[in-house]
Amino acid sequence: MRYIVLLILFVTSLVLPGTVFYYWSWAGIKPDLAMLLIIYIALHYRPAQGVAIGFVTGLLVDMFYGRNIGMYTIALTVVALLSAVLQKSWYRENIPLTTFLVFIVTLVGQLVIAFLGAIAGLNWYVGDIVQIVLGVSFYNALLVPLTYPLIHGSFTSGVLKERTKYEK
Amino acid sequence: MGKKPNSTGIAVLVFLVVIVAITTIRLTGLGKEFPNPVGSAMEKVLAPVESVIWKMGDGFRGNIRAIFSFNKVKAENEALQSQVDKLVGDNIKLKQQVLAALRYDELDEGIFDSPTLDKYKQMGASIINRDTTAWYQTITVNKGSKDGVKINDPVVAYVGLVGKVVLVAETTSDVLLILDGEGQVGAIARDSHGHAVFGVLHGTYQRGTRLDSQVALEMNLKREDEVNIGDLVLTSGLGGVYPKEIPIGVVEKTQLDSTGLIKVAYIKPIVNFDSLEEVFLVDMAGGN
Repeated sequence: MRYIVLLILFVTSLVLPGTVFYYWSWAGIKPDLAMLLIIYIALHYRPAQGVAIGFVTGLLVDMFYGRNIGMYTIALTVVALLSAVLQKSWYRENIPLTTFLVFIVTLVGQLVIAFLGAIAGLNWYVGDIVQIVLGVSFYNALLVPLTYPLIHGSFTSGVLKERTKYEK
Repeated sequence: MGKKPNSTGIAVLVFLVVIVAITTIRLTGLGKEFPNPVGSAMEKVLAPVESVIWKMGDGFRGNIRAIFSFNKVKAENEALQSQVDKLVGDNIKLKQQVLAALRYDELDEGIFDSPTLDKYKQMGASIINRDTTAWYQTITVNKGSKDGVKINDPVVAYVGLVGKVVLVAETTSDVLLILDGEGQVGAIARDSHGHAVFGVLHGTYQRGTRLDSQVALEMNLKREDEVNIGDLVLTSGLGGVYPKEIPIGVVEKTQLDSTGLIKVAYIKPIVNFDSLEEVFLVDMAGGN
């Protein structure tokens, strides 16, 4: 059941930005839901697991977008790694702190995308990059108070909780 | 007791992964063809879901508008909108007739030799997704390789140029809009006397264009080029991607850049990209 829910969350994170969030975008800025999901997952899994999930998810996101394969793979791996490092000294239950964490980690993730875009030879203007990086980070952070309590609750005591074989 | 991780091994692995990723990022950029069966399968499965959400979103947006406006005003608005569309179409037709007259002159001189859009096979497609990330100005349409869509196929709307196909899956395709800075178009600006100025047009892709979509394209010209407000901008056909003389937009303003050497013309697109629901994919191989 846990994996089905994670799969649904993943699919949702792929589908919503191009559909629902097109209407809820501000000046083209919309949240990066796949990145947000990976941050949530990395905060609740062991570091190695989180990084592995970030890598595989990033690869799938790249394949779904069908361009610049490797961009999201690297970005989501870095995001998962950073989230895993930060979670050791972070209070997961504290929503304002988690909001700030999501802002910082998304900022780093979007900067990685911008950096890889530059390496790939994409002509992104510096002004656009600054606005997109800050805008997406802010939008992702804005979604934390709405989504994190549900996700955290599910990871700690709901369907997403990892249970030992004795608990099953 | 678990084995201690080998830090050198991890460093080598990370290095290799980064090198491979950077290589694949470059090899699989916009408009590049490469096998992507997993992505294609995901698109195939998710396209119907996206299509349903997109239609619901459009309906929802329409209903929200209706709440804030009386039915009569709404009907009036729709009538006015269709009238505007018709007038825009008439305007374009008139301008095309002017161009046709010019073309006649050119034909007379034996210097004009280009196919027009009507000579190509066009296929209608519905938009099912837009701008999957904030980094690109793209749309996804419900036609793919099984319908004969190919990379770089031009995409047009009823009144003007939309963009070109950059990704083809079995049942869907991604279209890079001309608004995106990555999508450059060879263009000509024609004044009312028929004088043509050639240039390269590209999307400004500045943030704020969604809120203020009056000016979203710009064209770099030489300082001495004479381009005036109101001049019609069309595809030049140079570059081989787009057919000649598809309307793109109208010059809104011109100004010299900071060096004073280049003149920049800001173009208002003819196509309203925000309300775009259907497009036509042009098969360039189908021309005669």
